[in-house]
Amino acid sequence: MNRDVIGLIVLLALIIGFSLLLSIAGKYYIPNPESRKPTEIFGGNNQLAYLYLKYTYYPNDTSRTVLSPEAVTAIVWDFRGLDTLFETTVFYLAIIGALALGRGLIKIEKPVGEHGLSIIVKTVTRLTSVLIVTVAASIALHGHLTPGGGFQGGSAAAVAPLLILIIFSIYYFLEKGISKTLMLIIRSIGLIVIGLVAISCFIIGVIQGSEAFVFQNQRKIVGVYGEHSIEVSLPSHIAGELISGTLWFFNIAEFFAVMAGFTIVFMLLFVPEKAFREGGGK
Amino acid sequence: MINLELLLYAFMALLSISSVIAVYLAIFEKKLVRAVVFSAIQSTLYAILYYLLMAPDIALVYIPVSVGLYPAVILILIRKTEGEEKV
Amino acid sequence: MIDLYVYFLTLVMVSMVANTALSIYGIFFRPSMIKKIIALTILGDTANTFAIIIGYKRWVNPETPVTTPVLLNYTNINKTYIEEFAKMRAVDPLPQALVLTAIVIGLAVNLYLVFLTLQTYRLYGTTDVREIRRLRG
Repeated sequence: MNRDVIGLIVLLALIIGFSLLLSIAGKYYIPNPESRKPTEIFGGNNQLAYLYLKYTYYPNDTSRTVLSPEAVTAIVWDFRGLDTLFETTVFYLAIIGALALGRGLIKIEKPVGEHGLSIIVKTVTRLTSVLIVTVAASIALHGHLTPGGGFQGGSAAAVAPLLILIIFSIYYFLEKGISKTLMLIIRSIGLIVIGLVAISCFIIGVIQGSEAFVFQNQRKIVGVYGEHSIEVSLPSHIAGELISGTLWFFNIAEFFAVMAGFTIVFMLLFVPEKAFREGGGK
Repeated sequence: MINLELLLYAFMALLSISSVIAVYLAIFEKKLVRAVVFSAIQSTLYAILYYLLMAPDIALVYIPVSVGLYPAVILILIRKTEGEEKV
Repeated sequence: MIDLYVYFLTLVMVSMVANTALSIYGIFFRPSMIKKIIALTILGDTANTFAIIIGYKRWVNPETPVTTPVLLNYTNINKTYIEEFAKMRAVDPLPQALVLTAIVIGLAVNLYLVFLTLQTYRLYGTTDVREIRRLRG
Protein backbone atom coordinates (compact mmCIF):
# COMPACT_ATOMS: atom_id res chain seq x y z
CA MET A 1 0.00 0.00 0.00
CA ASN A 2 2.76 2.45 0.87
CA ARG A 3 4.68 1.70 -2.30
CA ASP A 4 1.62 2.45 -4.38
CA VAL A 5 1.03 5.86 -2.81
CA ILE A 6 4.67 6.90 -3.18
CA GLY A 7 4.77 5.78 -6.81
CA LEU A 8 1.55 7.68 -7.56
CA ILE A 9 2.81 10.94 -6.02
CA VAL A 10 6.09 10.71 -7.93
CA LEU A 11 4.26 10.11 -11.21
CA LEU A 12 1.88 13.07 -10.73
CA ALA A 13 4.71 15.41 -9.77
CA LEU A 14 6.60 14.36 -12.91
CA ILE A 15 3.58 15.08 -15.14
CA ILE A 16 2.77 18.51 -13.67
CA GLY A 17 6.42 19.61 -13.64
CA PHE A 18 7.10 18.43 -17.17
CA SER A 19 4.10 20.24 -18.66
CA LEU A 20 5.05 23.43 -16.79
CA LEU A 21 8.51 23.20 -18.30
CA LEU A 22 7.07 22.62 -21.78
CA SER A 23 4.69 25.57 -21.63
CA ILE A 24 7.35 27.99 -20.39
CA ALA A 25 9.89 26.90 -22.99
CA GLY A 26 7.46 27.62 -25.79
CA LYS A 27 7.55 24.21 -27.51
CA TYR A 28 4.14 22.58 -27.45
CA TYR A 29 1.34 21.39 -29.63
CA ILE A 30 -2.23 22.59 -29.11
CA PRO A 31 -5.00 23.05 -31.67
CA ASN A 32 -4.36 26.23 -33.58
CA PRO A 33 -7.10 28.91 -33.79
CA GLU A 34 -6.36 29.61 -37.43
CA SER A 35 -6.15 26.03 -38.64
CA ARG A 36 -8.96 26.58 -41.14
CA LYS A 37 -7.14 29.26 -43.11
CA PRO A 38 -7.43 28.51 -46.82
CA THR A 39 -4.26 27.90 -48.77
CA GLU A 40 -3.28 29.68 -51.96
CA ILE A 41 -2.68 26.67 -54.19
CA PHE A 42 -6.03 26.14 -55.90
CA GLY A 43 -7.46 29.56 -55.31
CA GLY A 44 -8.34 29.14 -51.67
CA ASN A 45 -11.19 27.31 -49.91
CA ASN A 46 -9.93 23.78 -50.26
CA GLN A 47 -9.49 22.65 -46.66
CA LEU A 48 -10.96 19.20 -46.16
CA ALA A 49 -12.86 19.98 -42.97
CA TYR A 50 -14.35 23.13 -44.55
CA LEU A 51 -15.53 21.20 -47.61
CA TYR A 52 -17.08 18.36 -45.59
CA LEU A 53 -18.93 20.77 -43.31
CA LYS A 54 -20.16 23.01 -46.12
CA TYR A 55 -21.49 20.32 -48.42
CA THR A 56 -23.24 18.11 -45.95
CA TYR A 57 -26.59 19.92 -46.35
CA TYR A 58 -26.58 22.20 -49.37
CA PRO A 59 -29.99 22.16 -51.11
CA ASN A 60 -29.01 24.76 -53.72
CA ASP A 61 -26.67 22.42 -55.58
CA THR A 62 -27.75 18.77 -55.24
CA SER A 63 -24.85 17.33 -57.19
CA ARG A 64 -22.26 17.47 -54.39
CA THR A 65 -24.29 17.03 -51.26
CA VAL A 66 -25.62 14.26 -49.06
CA LEU A 67 -28.68 16.20 -47.78
CA SER A 68 -28.20 15.13 -44.18
CA PRO A 69 -27.51 17.74 -41.50
CA GLU A 70 -25.30 15.39 -39.51
CA ALA A 71 -21.74 15.52 -40.81
CA VAL A 72 -20.26 12.45 -39.08
CA THR A 73 -22.94 10.00 -40.32
CA ALA A 74 -22.63 11.45 -43.84
CA ILE A 75 -18.87 10.85 -43.81
CA VAL A 76 -19.23 7.30 -42.46
CA TRP A 77 -21.89 6.13 -44.93
CA ASP A 78 -21.54 8.29 -48.01
CA PHE A 79 -18.32 10.27 -48.37
CA ARG A 80 -16.14 7.41 -47.08
CA GLY A 81 -18.52 4.48 -47.42
CA LEU A 82 -15.90 1.90 -48.47
CA ASP A 83 -14.12 2.17 -45.11
CA THR A 84 -17.33 1.14 -43.35
CA LEU A 85 -17.82 -1.77 -45.72
CA PHE A 86 -14.47 -3.31 -44.85
CA GLU A 87 -14.88 -2.62 -41.14
CA THR A 88 -18.11 -4.63 -41.23
CA THR A 89 -16.19 -7.45 -42.89
CA VAL A 90 -13.55 -7.46 -40.13
CA PHE A 91 -16.22 -7.61 -37.43
CA TYR A 92 -17.94 -10.49 -39.21
CA LEU A 93 -14.67 -12.43 -39.47
CA ALA A 94 -14.01 -12.00 -35.73
CA ILE A 95 -17.42 -13.45 -34.86
CA ILE A 96 -16.91 -16.39 -37.21
CA GLY A 97 -13.52 -17.04 -35.61
CA ALA A 98 -15.05 -17.03 -32.13
CA LEU A 99 -17.78 -19.46 -33.26
CA ALA A 100 -15.17 -21.79 -34.73
CA LEU A 101 -13.37 -21.99 -31.37
CA GLY A 102 -16.54 -23.15 -29.66
CA ARG A 103 -16.82 -26.55 -31.24
CA GLY A 104 -16.88 -29.83 -29.32
CA LEU A 105 -20.05 -29.06 -27.39
CA ILE A 106 -22.20 -31.93 -26.23
CA LYS A 107 -25.81 -31.55 -25.34
CA ILE A 108 -26.63 -29.08 -22.56
CA GLU A 109 -29.04 -30.72 -20.12
CA LYS A 110 -31.04 -28.65 -17.76
CA PRO A 111 -30.87 -29.45 -14.03
CA VAL A 112 -34.09 -29.36 -12.04
CA GLY A 113 -35.03 -26.53 -9.73
CA GLU A 114 -35.28 -22.76 -9.88
CA HIS A 115 -32.81 -20.85 -12.03
CA GLY A 116 -31.65 -17.30 -11.98
CA LEU A 117 -31.71 -14.63 -9.30
CA SER A 118 -34.55 -13.63 -6.98
CA ILE A 119 -38.01 -12.55 -8.04
CA ILE A 120 -37.49 -8.84 -7.34
CA VAL A 121 -34.64 -8.66 -9.84
CA LYS A 122 -36.64 -10.59 -12.41
CA THR A 123 -39.60 -8.20 -12.23
CA VAL A 124 -37.40 -5.11 -12.60
CA THR A 125 -35.60 -6.69 -15.54
CA ARG A 126 -38.88 -7.33 -17.34
CA LEU A 127 -39.59 -3.58 -17.23
CA THR A 128 -36.17 -2.15 -17.98
CA SER A 129 -35.17 -4.38 -20.88
CA VAL A 130 -38.10 -3.10 -22.94
CA LEU A 131 -37.05 0.48 -22.16
CA ILE A 132 -33.47 -0.22 -23.20
CA VAL A 133 -34.48 -1.59 -26.59
CA THR A 134 -36.81 1.38 -27.21
CA VAL A 135 -34.14 4.00 -26.51
CA ALA A 136 -31.63 2.13 -28.67
CA ALA A 137 -34.08 1.94 -31.60
CA SER A 138 -34.68 5.69 -31.30
CA ILE A 139 -30.94 6.37 -31.44
CA ALA A 140 -30.59 4.18 -34.55
CA LEU A 141 -33.57 5.59 -36.48
CA HIS A 142 -32.63 9.25 -35.98
CA GLY A 143 -29.05 8.72 -37.10
CA HIS A 144 -29.20 11.20 -39.96
CA LEU A 145 -30.69 14.10 -37.93
CA THR A 146 -29.07 13.94 -34.49
CA PRO A 147 -25.91 12.27 -33.21
CA GLY A 148 -26.42 8.52 -33.40
CA GLY A 149 -26.65 5.90 -36.09
CA GLY A 150 -26.54 2.18 -36.69
CA PHE A 151 -23.59 1.13 -34.59
CA GLN A 152 -24.44 3.34 -31.62
CA GLY A 153 -28.00 1.98 -31.44
CA GLY A 154 -26.88 -1.62 -31.96
CA SER A 155 -24.34 -1.68 -29.16
CA ALA A 156 -26.74 0.05 -26.75
CA ALA A 157 -29.40 -2.55 -27.60
CA ALA A 158 -26.95 -5.41 -26.95
CA VAL A 159 -27.09 -4.65 -23.21
CA ALA A 160 -30.64 -6.05 -22.95
CA PRO A 161 -29.87 -9.68 -23.97
CA LEU A 162 -26.84 -9.59 -21.65
CA LEU A 163 -29.07 -8.63 -18.72
CA ILE A 164 -31.58 -11.33 -19.53
CA LEU A 165 -28.80 -13.95 -19.81
CA ILE A 166 -27.39 -13.06 -16.41
CA ILE A 167 -30.63 -12.68 -14.45
CA PHE A 168 -32.72 -15.40 -15.96
CA SER A 169 -30.40 -18.13 -17.14
CA ILE A 170 -29.33 -19.54 -20.47
CA TYR A 171 -31.92 -22.32 -20.16
CA TYR A 172 -34.62 -19.62 -20.46
CA PHE A 173 -33.28 -18.66 -23.85
CA LEU A 174 -33.09 -22.24 -25.04
CA GLU A 175 -36.67 -22.91 -23.92
CA LYS A 176 -38.02 -19.94 -25.86
CA GLY A 177 -36.34 -21.19 -29.01
CA ILE A 178 -33.70 -18.47 -29.39
CA SER A 179 -30.58 -20.36 -30.43
CA LYS A 180 -27.27 -19.41 -31.98
CA THR A 181 -28.51 -20.43 -35.43
CA LEU A 182 -31.41 -17.96 -35.30
CA MET A 183 -29.10 -15.08 -34.34
CA LEU A 184 -26.70 -16.04 -37.13
CA ILE A 185 -29.60 -15.94 -39.61
CA ILE A 186 -30.62 -12.44 -38.42
CA ARG A 187 -27.05 -11.20 -38.73
CA SER A 188 -26.71 -12.58 -42.24
CA ILE A 189 -29.99 -10.94 -43.29
CA GLY A 190 -28.70 -7.60 -42.00
CA LEU A 191 -25.46 -7.92 -43.95
CA ILE A 192 -27.31 -8.92 -47.15
CA VAL A 193 -29.55 -5.83 -46.87
CA ILE A 194 -26.47 -3.62 -46.47
CA GLY A 195 -24.95 -5.15 -49.60
CA LEU A 196 -28.16 -4.72 -51.62
CA VAL A 197 -28.64 -1.06 -50.64
CA ALA A 198 -25.02 -0.34 -51.56
CA ILE A 199 -25.57 -1.44 -55.17
CA SER A 200 -29.18 -0.30 -55.48
CA CYS A 201 -28.38 2.74 -57.59
CA PHE A 202 -26.35 0.58 -59.93
CA ILE A 203 -29.32 -1.77 -60.41
CA ILE A 204 -31.67 1.15 -61.07
CA GLY A 205 -29.18 2.44 -63.65
CA VAL A 206 -29.02 -0.94 -65.39
CA ILE A 207 -32.83 -1.08 -65.62
CA GLN A 208 -33.13 2.47 -66.91
CA GLY A 209 -30.23 2.22 -69.30
CA SER A 210 -27.96 4.88 -67.79
CA GLU A 211 -24.77 4.48 -65.82
CA ALA A 212 -24.34 4.89 -62.06
CA PHE A 213 -21.75 4.39 -59.33
CA VAL A 214 -21.66 1.91 -56.48
CA PHE A 215 -22.46 3.55 -53.11
CA GLN A 216 -24.19 6.43 -54.87
CA ASN A 217 -26.72 8.51 -52.94
CA GLN A 218 -27.74 11.61 -54.91
CA ARG A 219 -27.10 12.71 -58.47
CA LYS A 220 -23.53 13.43 -59.55
CA ILE A 221 -21.80 15.44 -62.28
CA VAL A 222 -18.73 13.91 -63.91
CA GLY A 223 -16.47 14.97 -66.71
CA VAL A 224 -13.59 17.39 -67.01
CA TYR A 225 -15.74 20.45 -67.75
CA GLY A 226 -18.81 19.21 -65.93
CA GLU A 227 -20.84 18.27 -68.97
CA HIS A 228 -21.96 14.74 -68.13
CA SER A 229 -24.69 14.39 -65.52
CA ILE A 230 -25.78 11.16 -63.86
CA GLU A 231 -29.36 11.56 -62.78
CA VAL A 232 -29.94 8.36 -60.80
CA SER A 233 -30.64 9.02 -57.15
CA LEU A 234 -32.64 7.69 -54.25
CA PRO A 235 -35.36 10.00 -52.90
CA SER A 236 -34.23 12.33 -50.17
CA HIS A 237 -37.65 13.23 -48.88
CA ILE A 238 -40.57 10.85 -48.44
CA ALA A 239 -43.92 12.56 -47.88
CA GLY A 240 -42.22 15.69 -46.65
CA GLU A 241 -39.91 14.02 -44.12
CA LEU A 242 -36.14 14.00 -44.59
CA ILE A 243 -34.61 10.53 -44.94
CA SER A 244 -31.44 11.32 -46.93
CA GLY A 245 -31.47 8.54 -49.49
CA THR A 246 -29.51 5.43 -48.52
CA LEU A 247 -28.56 6.54 -44.99
CA TRP A 248 -31.82 5.52 -43.33
CA PHE A 249 -31.76 1.96 -44.70
CA PHE A 250 -28.11 1.53 -43.77
CA ASN A 251 -28.83 2.52 -40.20
CA ILE A 252 -31.70 0.06 -39.75
CA ALA A 253 -29.78 -2.91 -41.23
CA GLU A 254 -26.65 -2.14 -39.18
CA PHE A 255 -28.75 -1.98 -35.99
CA PHE A 256 -30.06 -5.52 -36.44
CA ALA A 257 -26.71 -6.92 -37.54
CA VAL A 258 -24.77 -5.53 -34.57
CA MET A 259 -27.36 -6.59 -32.00
CA ALA A 260 -27.48 -10.17 -33.30
CA GLY A 261 -23.68 -10.35 -33.49
CA PHE A 262 -23.20 -9.42 -29.85
CA THR A 263 -25.90 -11.85 -28.73
CA ILE A 264 -24.06 -14.74 -30.42
CA VAL A 265 -20.86 -13.92 -28.51
CA PHE A 266 -22.66 -13.79 -25.17
CA MET A 267 -24.53 -17.03 -25.72
CA LEU A 268 -21.24 -18.73 -26.49
CA LEU A 269 -19.62 -17.44 -23.30
CA PHE A 270 -22.41 -18.52 -20.98
CA VAL A 271 -22.25 -22.24 -21.69
CA PRO A 272 -21.41 -24.08 -18.41
CA GLU A 273 -17.98 -25.64 -18.16
CA LYS A 274 -19.29 -29.18 -17.55
CA ALA A 275 -20.50 -29.42 -21.12
CA PHE A 276 -16.97 -29.01 -22.38
CA ARG A 277 -15.13 -31.37 -20.10
CA GLU A 278 -16.89 -34.71 -20.14
CA GLY A 279 -16.24 -36.11 -23.52
CA GLY A 280 -16.46 -32.96 -25.59
CA GLY A 281 -13.65 -33.28 -28.08
CA LYS A 282 -10.62 -31.08 -28.58
CA MET B 1 -16.88 36.33 -14.00
CA ILE B 2 -13.93 34.26 -15.03
CA ASN B 3 -13.47 33.35 -18.65
CA LEU B 4 -15.64 30.37 -19.60
CA GLU B 5 -12.99 28.88 -21.87
CA LEU B 6 -10.44 28.80 -19.04
CA LEU B 7 -12.89 26.93 -16.79
CA LEU B 8 -13.48 24.37 -19.53
CA TYR B 9 -9.77 23.72 -20.01
CA ALA B 10 -9.19 23.46 -16.24
CA PHE B 11 -11.90 20.81 -16.01
CA MET B 12 -10.34 18.86 -18.88
CA ALA B 13 -6.95 18.91 -17.13
CA LEU B 14 -8.54 17.65 -13.89
CA LEU B 15 -10.20 14.75 -15.75
CA SER B 16 -6.92 13.75 -17.43
CA ILE B 17 -4.99 13.66 -14.16
CA SER B 18 -7.71 11.54 -12.54
CA SER B 19 -7.51 9.10 -15.43
CA VAL B 20 -3.74 8.70 -14.90
CA ILE B 21 -4.44 7.75 -11.27
CA ALA B 22 -7.08 5.19 -12.35
CA VAL B 23 -4.79 3.59 -14.96
CA TYR B 24 -1.91 3.31 -12.47
CA LEU B 25 -4.16 1.59 -9.93
CA ALA B 26 -5.57 -0.76 -12.58
CA ILE B 27 -2.21 -2.03 -13.75
CA PHE B 28 -0.50 -2.44 -10.37
CA GLU B 29 -3.32 -4.39 -8.68
CA LYS B 30 -3.09 -8.07 -7.93
CA LYS B 31 -6.74 -9.03 -7.52
CA LEU B 32 -8.21 -9.03 -11.00
CA VAL B 33 -11.81 -8.05 -10.11
CA ARG B 34 -10.59 -4.77 -8.65
CA ALA B 35 -8.48 -4.12 -11.74
CA VAL B 36 -11.56 -4.44 -13.95
CA VAL B 37 -13.47 -1.96 -11.78
CA PHE B 38 -10.63 0.58 -12.04
CA SER B 39 -10.63 0.13 -15.79
CA ALA B 40 -14.36 0.93 -15.88
CA ILE B 41 -13.75 4.11 -13.84
CA GLN B 42 -11.11 5.17 -16.37
CA SER B 43 -13.59 4.62 -19.20
CA THR B 44 -16.18 6.83 -17.52
CA LEU B 45 -13.64 9.66 -17.16
CA TYR B 46 -12.73 9.29 -20.83
CA ALA B 47 -16.40 9.48 -21.82
CA ILE B 48 -16.83 12.82 -20.00
CA LEU B 49 -13.66 14.03 -21.76
CA TYR B 50 -15.14 13.12 -25.14
CA TYR B 51 -18.30 15.08 -24.34
CA LEU B 52 -16.26 18.18 -23.45
CA LEU B 53 -14.29 17.85 -26.69
CA MET B 54 -17.58 18.09 -28.63
CA ALA B 55 -17.70 14.51 -29.98
CA PRO B 56 -21.16 13.12 -29.09
CA ASP B 57 -21.15 10.25 -31.64
CA ILE B 58 -18.08 8.72 -30.04
CA ALA B 59 -19.39 9.14 -26.49
CA LEU B 60 -22.57 7.26 -27.56
CA VAL B 61 -20.47 4.30 -28.77
CA TYR B 62 -17.94 4.37 -25.95
CA ILE B 63 -20.28 4.21 -22.97
CA PRO B 64 -22.17 0.95 -23.76
CA VAL B 65 -19.06 -0.76 -25.14
CA SER B 66 -16.46 0.10 -22.55
CA VAL B 67 -18.50 0.45 -19.34
CA GLY B 68 -21.13 -2.23 -20.03
CA LEU B 69 -19.93 -4.95 -22.39
CA TYR B 70 -16.16 -5.21 -21.78
CA PRO B 71 -16.24 -5.52 -17.95
CA ALA B 72 -19.08 -8.08 -18.19
CA VAL B 73 -17.12 -10.28 -20.61
CA ILE B 74 -13.89 -10.06 -18.60
CA LEU B 75 -15.72 -10.83 -15.34
CA ILE B 76 -17.13 -14.01 -16.88
CA LEU B 77 -13.61 -14.90 -18.02
CA ILE B 78 -12.24 -14.35 -14.49
CA ARG B 79 -14.97 -16.57 -13.06
CA LYS B 80 -14.09 -19.39 -15.46
CA THR B 81 -10.30 -19.17 -15.00
CA GLU B 82 -8.18 -17.92 -12.12
CA GLY B 83 -8.97 -14.84 -10.09
CA GLU B 84 -5.64 -13.62 -8.82
CA GLU B 85 -2.28 -12.79 -10.26
CA LYS B 86 0.90 -14.07 -8.67
CA VAL B 87 3.83 -11.76 -9.31
CA MET C 1 3.74 35.12 -16.56
CA ILE C 2 2.66 31.79 -18.03
CA ASP C 3 -0.21 31.31 -20.46
CA LEU C 4 -2.85 29.30 -18.56
CA TYR C 5 -4.72 28.14 -21.70
CA VAL C 6 -1.57 26.58 -23.10
CA TYR C 7 -0.63 25.04 -19.75
CA PHE C 8 -3.94 23.17 -19.33
CA LEU C 9 -3.97 21.81 -22.87
CA THR C 10 -0.35 20.67 -22.54
CA LEU C 11 -1.31 18.90 -19.30
CA VAL C 12 -3.96 16.90 -21.16
CA MET C 13 -1.47 15.80 -23.85
CA VAL C 14 1.26 14.82 -21.37
CA SER C 15 -1.14 12.73 -19.28
CA MET C 16 -2.24 10.84 -22.39
CA VAL C 17 1.43 10.07 -23.10
CA ALA C 18 1.79 8.84 -19.51
CA ASN C 19 -1.25 6.57 -19.97
CA THR C 20 0.32 5.07 -23.07
CA ALA C 21 3.59 4.39 -21.26
CA LEU C 22 1.84 2.74 -18.30
CA SER C 23 -0.24 0.45 -20.50
CA ILE C 24 2.76 -0.65 -22.60
CA TYR C 25 4.56 -1.54 -19.34
CA GLY C 26 1.47 -3.51 -18.32
CA ILE C 27 1.43 -5.51 -21.55
CA PHE C 28 5.08 -6.54 -21.37
CA PHE C 29 5.88 -7.05 -17.70
CA ARG C 30 2.76 -8.54 -16.06
CA PRO C 31 2.50 -12.33 -16.20
CA SER C 32 -1.23 -12.89 -16.21
CA MET C 33 -3.04 -13.08 -19.56
CA ILE C 34 -6.15 -11.29 -18.28
CA LYS C 35 -4.05 -8.33 -17.12
CA LYS C 36 -2.52 -8.15 -20.58
CA ILE C 37 -5.97 -7.96 -22.17
CA ILE C 38 -7.04 -5.13 -19.81
CA ALA C 39 -3.85 -3.17 -20.61
CA LEU C 40 -4.42 -3.68 -24.36
CA THR C 41 -7.89 -2.11 -24.18
CA ILE C 42 -6.52 0.89 -22.27
CA LEU C 43 -3.83 1.37 -24.96
CA GLY C 44 -6.41 1.33 -27.77
CA ASP C 45 -8.66 3.84 -26.05
CA THR C 46 -5.80 6.25 -25.41
CA ALA C 47 -4.74 6.13 -29.06
CA ASN C 48 -8.29 7.04 -30.09
CA THR C 49 -8.28 9.95 -27.64
CA PHE C 50 -5.19 11.38 -29.33
CA ALA C 51 -7.05 11.48 -32.64
CA ILE C 52 -10.05 13.28 -31.14
CA ILE C 53 -7.89 15.92 -29.40
CA ILE C 54 -6.33 16.86 -32.75
CA GLY C 55 -9.75 17.62 -34.21
CA TYR C 56 -10.57 20.24 -31.56
CA LYS C 57 -10.48 23.97 -32.30
CA ARG C 58 -9.97 26.87 -29.90
CA TRP C 59 -12.63 29.56 -29.50
CA VAL C 60 -12.54 32.48 -31.92
CA ASN C 61 -13.70 35.13 -29.45
CA PRO C 62 -14.72 34.58 -25.81
CA GLU C 63 -18.47 34.79 -26.46
CA THR C 64 -19.08 32.18 -29.16
CA PRO C 65 -18.25 28.61 -28.15
CA VAL C 66 -17.41 25.87 -30.67
CA THR C 67 -20.20 23.39 -31.43
CA THR C 68 -20.57 19.81 -32.62
CA PRO C 69 -20.59 19.22 -36.40
CA VAL C 70 -24.41 18.99 -36.57
CA LEU C 71 -26.68 21.53 -38.25
CA LEU C 72 -29.49 21.83 -35.74
CA ASN C 73 -32.05 24.03 -37.50
CA TYR C 74 -31.88 22.87 -41.08
CA THR C 75 -35.26 24.16 -42.25
CA ASN C 76 -34.44 27.84 -42.47
CA ILE C 77 -30.83 28.44 -43.48
CA ASN C 78 -29.09 30.73 -45.89
CA LYS C 79 -25.60 30.87 -47.36
CA THR C 80 -24.00 33.08 -44.70
CA TYR C 81 -25.13 30.77 -41.92
CA ILE C 82 -23.51 27.76 -43.62
CA GLU C 83 -20.32 29.74 -44.26
CA GLU C 84 -19.99 30.81 -40.64
CA PHE C 85 -20.77 27.27 -39.44
CA ALA C 86 -18.13 25.70 -41.65
CA LYS C 87 -15.40 28.26 -41.13
CA MET C 88 -15.59 29.22 -37.50
CA ARG C 89 -17.93 27.40 -35.24
CA ALA C 90 -17.75 23.66 -35.80
CA VAL C 91 -15.22 21.01 -34.79
CA ASP C 92 -13.52 18.85 -37.43
CA PRO C 93 -15.79 15.87 -38.29
CA LEU C 94 -13.24 13.67 -40.07
CA PRO C 95 -11.24 12.35 -37.03
CA GLN C 96 -14.51 11.36 -35.36
CA ALA C 97 -15.55 9.22 -38.32
CA LEU C 98 -12.16 7.47 -38.41
CA VAL C 99 -12.21 6.83 -34.64
CA LEU C 100 -15.66 5.21 -34.99
CA THR C 101 -14.18 2.61 -37.34
CA ALA C 102 -11.18 2.10 -35.07
CA ILE C 103 -13.34 1.43 -32.00
CA VAL C 104 -15.29 -1.30 -33.82
CA ILE C 105 -12.17 -3.06 -35.07
CA GLY C 106 -10.51 -2.90 -31.64
CA LEU C 107 -13.62 -4.37 -30.04
CA ALA C 108 -13.70 -7.29 -32.48
CA VAL C 109 -10.00 -8.18 -31.92
CA ASN C 110 -10.31 -8.00 -28.12
CA LEU C 111 -13.40 -10.24 -28.06
CA TYR C 112 -11.52 -12.81 -30.14
CA LEU C 113 -8.56 -12.64 -27.71
CA VAL C 114 -10.92 -13.46 -24.82
CA PHE C 115 -11.99 -16.66 -26.56
CA LEU C 116 -8.37 -17.63 -27.21
CA THR C 117 -7.50 -17.18 -23.53
CA LEU C 118 -10.42 -19.41 -22.51
CA GLN C 119 -9.27 -22.17 -24.85
CA THR C 120 -5.67 -21.88 -23.54
CA TYR C 121 -6.91 -22.32 -19.97
CA ARG C 122 -8.84 -25.45 -20.95
CA LEU C 123 -5.74 -26.99 -22.54
CA TYR C 124 -3.00 -26.06 -20.05
CA GLY C 125 -4.83 -25.47 -16.78
CA THR C 126 -3.28 -22.07 -16.07
CA THR C 127 -3.17 -18.51 -17.42
CA ASP C 128 0.29 -17.66 -16.15
CA VAL C 129 2.67 -17.08 -19.04
CA ARG C 130 5.75 -18.30 -17.16
CA GLU C 131 4.04 -21.59 -16.29
CA ILE C 132 3.09 -22.20 -19.91
CA ARG C 133 6.65 -21.53 -20.96
CA ARG C 134 7.87 -24.05 -18.41
CA LEU C 135 5.44 -26.65 -19.73
CA ARG C 136 6.94 -26.17 -23.19
CA GLY C 137 3.76 -24.70 -24.68
